[in-house]
Amino acid sequence: MKTPAATSLRTLASRSLRALAALLVAAPFLAPAPCLAEAATVIRATELKRAPATDAESAGQLAENAKVDALERQGGWTRVRAPGGAEGWVRMLALRFDGGGAARQGDSGIAQALNVARTGTSGAQVTTGVRGLDAEQLANARANPAELKKLERYAASKDAAAAFAERGPLRAQQVSYP
Amino acid sequence: MLLRVALFAGLCVAASGAQAQFNLRNLDINKVLDTAKNVVKATGEIGEQEEIELGRDVAAQLLGAAPLMANEGVQRYVNYVGRWLASQTERPDLPWRFGVLEAPQLNAFATPGGNVFITRGLLERMKSEAELAGVLAHEIAHVLRKHHLKAIQKGAQTALAGEALTQALARRDGANREKLIALGSEVFTRGLDKSDELEADRLGVAIAARGGYDAYGLPSVLQTLQAMNPQDSGLALMFKTHPAPAERLDAMEKLQSLLDAYAAQPQLAERFAASARTRR
Repeated sequence: MKTPAATSLRTLASRSLRALAALLVAAPFLAPAPCLAEAATVIRATELKRAPATDAESAGQLAENAKVDALERQGGWTRVRAPGGAEGWVRMLALRFDGGGAARQGDSGIAQALNVARTGTSGAQVTTGVRGLDAEQLANARANPAELKKLERYAASKDAAAAFAERGPLRAQQVSYP
Repeated sequence: MLLRVALFAGLCVAASGAQAQFNLRNLDINKVLDTAKNVVKATGEIGEQEEIELGRDVAAQLLGAAPLMANEGVQRYVNYVGRWLASQTERPDLPWRFGVLEAPQLNAFATPGGNVFITRGLLERMKSEAELAGVLAHEIAHVLRKHHLKAIQKGAQTALAGEALTQALARRDGANREKLIALGSEVFTRGLDKSDELEADRLGVAIAARGGYDAYGLPSVLQTLQAMNPQDSGLALMFKTHPAPAERLDAMEKLQSLLDAYAAQPQLAERFAASARTRR
């Protein structure tokens, strides 16, 4: 079966797969404030607001368990599109996602792209260069003192971290533990 | 602590029963006190230096399962964010270390004494520095409350009786030290108590807010996880060892006023996008 055509087809497929992997890896950084457009459920009857604020004007009512599309988040509010097409803001914590948003077809992009080399029906993973971190790897690990040294080397001092925060700019607050 | 040692020594003498009573003159009081001290070790406080050293050994083991991502810029960036957050806590002077593990799975870990890790897979799912801060703050809270250390101690009560634990902590006994480190690694696959995870979520929100970040960073990551397919192989270990994201989000609703009070603080999405690029 190893005809030149089959080989080149395989090369092409593996190239596209690599390109796809690169795209998926880069994707989160292409859009810093991405539109979610993910299917979500409203966990209680709630008012749809015209703006992300408690005192904002009402844009309608959503019933408990209403299905909406979540579009973007701003602080504690998420902009949603209701079944009738109406758009507005609801409390972010009033939404639960349906666990299939970005990955209805199976694995998430990254995990799928990096775990492509699975064998047949067993699902056992072939070494792909990326070892990953699952229960088996953790159980069989041997200490890696060289990596521990690197970890120490990358550590930041308190002062350097404070200067970094100032560039944010981030301002420290007094907050009690709830 | 002293009182507890004395109390325990008393109990110990009483419990050893008739023999101890009749041979009281021959009783080696030092040995009784030593035993008492060791039992206190298994249930009471482990010293900070011992905590730090044990945490380092467990971290070395974790790094044996997945090395650090080979990108110094990202590693240093995550250390800045983490160290800034840790500085806002009651244990600001621990040797805090933060690392991004080269793994496609989504997870985060802490070892005793201030070592915090997140996987590349989780970092790539995040949208802002506030989200990163939320996750690091959750792990910092585990260190503050010694959740991992206590889990190791609990395991050691059965695996390493009495003196063996003291020796293992002081590095005097190779085999027992290995056992202790293995207990530390086990926590990563078995998970902490659910109450520990929910406590770390609560403290994590407060710590991120103290650092000046939009407090909704952690809930936002939980929503991202909830929107993913639960069958995703990259989520298997995290979902096995943590309460479901929906349950954690339910618990977040009790923090609504805290979250809202600090919702307008910066998310720093642009700095995150520029600094956390995992490919050059």
